[in-house]
Amino acid sequence: MASRRRMLLKVIILGDSGVGKTSLMNQYVNRKFSNQYKATIGADFLTKEVQFEDRLFTLQIWDTAGQERFQSLGVAFYRGADCCVLVYDVNVMKSFDNLNNWREEFLIQASPSDPENFPFVVLGNKIDVDGGNSRVVSEKKAKAWCASKGNIPYFETSAKEGFNVEAAFQCIAKNALKNEPEEEVYLPDTIDVGGGQQQRSSGCEC
Amino acid sequence: MITDGVEDEDKWLAAGNAGLQQNAFYMHRALDSNNLRDALKYSAQMLSELRTSKLSPQKYYQLYMRAFDELRKLEMFFKEEARRGCSIIDLYELVQHAGNILPRLYLLCTVGSVYIKSKEAPAKDVLKDLVEMCRGIQHPVRGLFLRSYLSQVSRDKLPDIGSEYEGDADTVNDAVEFVLQNFTEMNKLWVRMQHQVGLNIYGLLPALMCYNACESFILLADPELRLAVGVSGLQGPAREKDKREKERSELRDLVGKNLHVLSQIEGVDLDMYKETVLPRVLEQVVNCKDEIAQYYLMDCIIQVFPDEYHLQTLEILLDAFPQLQPSVDIKTVLARLMERLSNYAASSAEVLPEFLQVEAFAKLNNAIGKVIEAQVDMPVFGAVTLYSSLLTFILHVHPERLDYADQVLGACVKKLSSDGRIEDSKATKQIVALLSAPLEKYNDIVTVLKLSNYPRMMEYLDNETNKVMATVIIQSIMKNNTQVSTADKVESLFELIKGLIKDLDGTLHDEIDEDDFKEEQNSVARLIQMLHNDDPEEMFKVICTVRKHILTGGPKRLPFTIPPLVFSSLKLVRQLQGPDENPFGEESTTPKKIFQHLNQTIETLYGVPSPELALRLYLQCAEAANDCDLEPVAYEFFTQAYILYEEEISDSRAQVTAIHLIIGTLQRMHVFGVENRDTLTHKATGYSAKLLKKPDQCRAVYACSHLFWVDDQDNMKDGERVLLCLKRALRIANAAQQMSNAARGSTGSVALFVEILNKYLYFFEKGNPQITVATIQSLIELITTEMQSDSNTPDPAADAFLASTLRYIQFQKQKGGAVGEKYEPIKA
Repeated sequence: MASRRRMLLKVIILGDSGVGKTSLMNQYVNRKFSNQYKATIGADFLTKEVQFEDRLFTLQIWDTAGQERFQSLGVAFYRGADCCVLVYDVNVMKSFDNLNNWREEFLIQASPSDPENFPFVVLGNKIDVDGGNSRVVSEKKAKAWCASKGNIPYFETSAKEGFNVEAAFQCIAKNALKNEPEEEVYLPDTIDVGGGQQQRSSGCEC
Repeated sequence: MITDGVEDEDKWLAAGNAGLQQNAFYMHRALDSNNLRDALKYSAQMLSELRTSKLSPQKYYQLYMRAFDELRKLEMFFKEEARRGCSIIDLYELVQHAGNILPRLYLLCTVGSVYIKSKEAPAKDVLKDLVEMCRGIQHPVRGLFLRSYLSQVSRDKLPDIGSEYEGDADTVNDAVEFVLQNFTEMNKLWVRMQHQVGLNIYGLLPALMCYNACESFILLADPELRLAVGVSGLQGPAREKDKREKERSELRDLVGKNLHVLSQIEGVDLDMYKETVLPRVLEQVVNCKDEIAQYYLMDCIIQVFPDEYHLQTLEILLDAFPQLQPSVDIKTVLARLMERLSNYAASSAEVLPEFLQVEAFAKLNNAIGKVIEAQVDMPVFGAVTLYSSLLTFILHVHPERLDYADQVLGACVKKLSSDGRIEDSKATKQIVALLSAPLEKYNDIVTVLKLSNYPRMMEYLDNETNKVMATVIIQSIMKNNTQVSTADKVESLFELIKGLIKDLDGTLHDEIDEDDFKEEQNSVARLIQMLHNDDPEEMFKVICTVRKHILTGGPKRLPFTIPPLVFSSLKLVRQLQGPDENPFGEESTTPKKIFQHLNQTIETLYGVPSPELALRLYLQCAEAANDCDLEPVAYEFFTQAYILYEEEISDSRAQVTAIHLIIGTLQRMHVFGVENRDTLTHKATGYSAKLLKKPDQCRAVYACSHLFWVDDQDNMKDGERVLLCLKRALRIANAAQQMSNAARGSTGSVALFVEILNKYLYFFEKGNPQITVATIQSLIELITTEMQSDSNTPDPAADAFLASTLRYIQFQKQKGGAVGEKYEPIKA
């Protein structure tokens, strides 16, 4: 049972609207990139098989809406995440400033048992824009923040050019794997072999 | 059956979770032992928990996510089964034996996903089957989540271009068709929620719904049934409605996500978007006739599809707006569309031709016009928001088309004109944003002044906001150092900022904060200083224009606005004094003409009344006239200043200040002939001697001594009269000393004497023959005696003053040479 569970690694990508979450996922999973901005609605995942230490894992990568008004159902999908990826745009200061909010929001909502050691990875995306001339968040600044939050691994990426995306997700997968799964251990009171057909629901029979 | 209360809900959720976990436990055991039969049995039981009707969408989502995670394990198991040789087609049949339809369909979707992956059947057939089968669930919440599950598991298996599931022909079409169908069904479920009255419906409907749900549900559209259902659930209809709308709002992303999926499908190119996707989506949006769905889905369309597509399909998109329900908040959606397009235009100059090619402005303008026309009840705020967004769009896309901008302002004015002055604070804020946008874009009020409707727009602001806007305009000019240099432009500008220039109707003075008022008027003053034109003719016109406006300002504003105007005029006078003097003909601007204007301008301060300020300005003018060699003019200004002094300035301190100003100015005048000068100096000494307090008298009188001894003017060195003044000052000082003695029993300070001594030394050094060593010597002695007298009040400052004066004499002696020789005889 546990082995089956460990074959699936759940990763959540968070960050402000327009930082390139969907693009990063698409670049990694499909090796495709589009310059067009398309908002994401709700939460949506793609899967990718990864080889790691001679074992095959399925990475379940959840892309999320950066715009709050497209997150109407809440964030129940955070549950059971093995790694959280925080993305910002190196050309937009606000998106960097908001990393803290995203991180805290995630820790509150997902409430992992060991929040101190829950694996995060930070990606500074869009380093290709304008040859780096419009950049406002320095690598040093980003790394300092990551260091202050318990040495979060940091990658500078370009979803457009595919730069560092593979390496970043390798690291994400590795860290996700390190995360100890919180199996809610279920111990049945009695072994009810006859099946627990329960009639609590008074709904219809469909 | 009433399911109010979060606590109850939490209990149900906990119970659901527990049931789910229990069955998941057995499912895991079955999976581990490769027991397909049990795996199916327990997974179906686990999924039965999703049949609940008691949870709000957000809670249901939590339960759903748990089931979702468990189903991933089952999916892996199915994959392994398939790998082990189990026929996936059999599996697909097998799961359909589940007793309840909801678990059955979840299982079917899960197997379906594996089925597609196995490529044993074309993806499109499996998808088509699944999307059809899901019709079996007509309960909105359960149906929406089920279809959302289908959408999620099929997400990476759509047969789009480049996908490994790509079929032979028309493959993208199949993918699009599938998502569109799912979207349509989901939207129907979602909209239908609005028409279910009361929760009792859940108790009433099951009988109708099951299995043939699809057909039975058509009954709901029957008004009679709806009525029947309604009767049983009428408790607190308003509350019910709120609750329902909240639930719908929570569920909206499940519907909207389909549009996101569509936008991500590889192969949905512009053609396909234009020909199929957009028309089909819009058709559903328009036809559902549901306010919430229409508002949300239009917003989604705008956000999920790329800008390029919107530009190329603008007409189709915009045509849908007038077909929406009248209650839909179109303005927000349209404003977001324009915001997106504006950002797109701003992102790169390369995309601008695209905007021109599709005539985006004309289309948007037209659409907005129609919306505003159609929605008669749209609040002013809404209309202004729309125009504001359109203006922003123009500024980004057509910055050179001022006519477009003006057109939008004009349309806005027209809309506002039917509503009169705006009292709504939200609308006012929007208008300020609207009016600020061109300023920020062009950074140049001159450009903005070309917008004929701009000032008309400002008419609609309340006084307070009008002032705020006027301040914004002035700040923009300051910041950008904008040259407003012709009279015409100044005229328009002052017309624009008239909220600061004069009292608008209905402003009450006591409402205005004193500090705010000062701040405002100071900014106007700064503005006046900034106006400049190198051509004196035009500059004079500018000054006249400003004058015309500020004279309407009333007594409170004039003290702020007149001085900058005066100095601005004097600057022009100096400019005219240049080397090639008076190159102008009869009619042209001459210093004389400007002075005449100035005279009248300053006169207006009488009414304020502000005589002290007027006096200062007259003296400034007199000095300028002096520099222009205009004796009569300078004399006239002095006369005015004297009249003011005599008639208007009664405060003794003000008199002291004024007299020193007069003496100082007069001292610098060289234009006067003997007669005029005598008259004026005579008057000035006369005023000095008549000041109220003796020390003031004394100081003014000794200051007058300078009027008779001007350094670089040989004809103005009258040693005798200098001495007369100083002697007079001494007498006054003496009198002051005695008066002080009489009144307080002690002598006052000897400081006055020391001051006079310094004057003696000054003129001594300057070579005034009347000031001799003897006179200085006796004065020093007098002071020393005074200081040693018993009745003298010790005054350390005066002592120090005297000591340093004496040190000075000593110093001059030691210098040697002519100066040393001169000082040598003085014994200190």
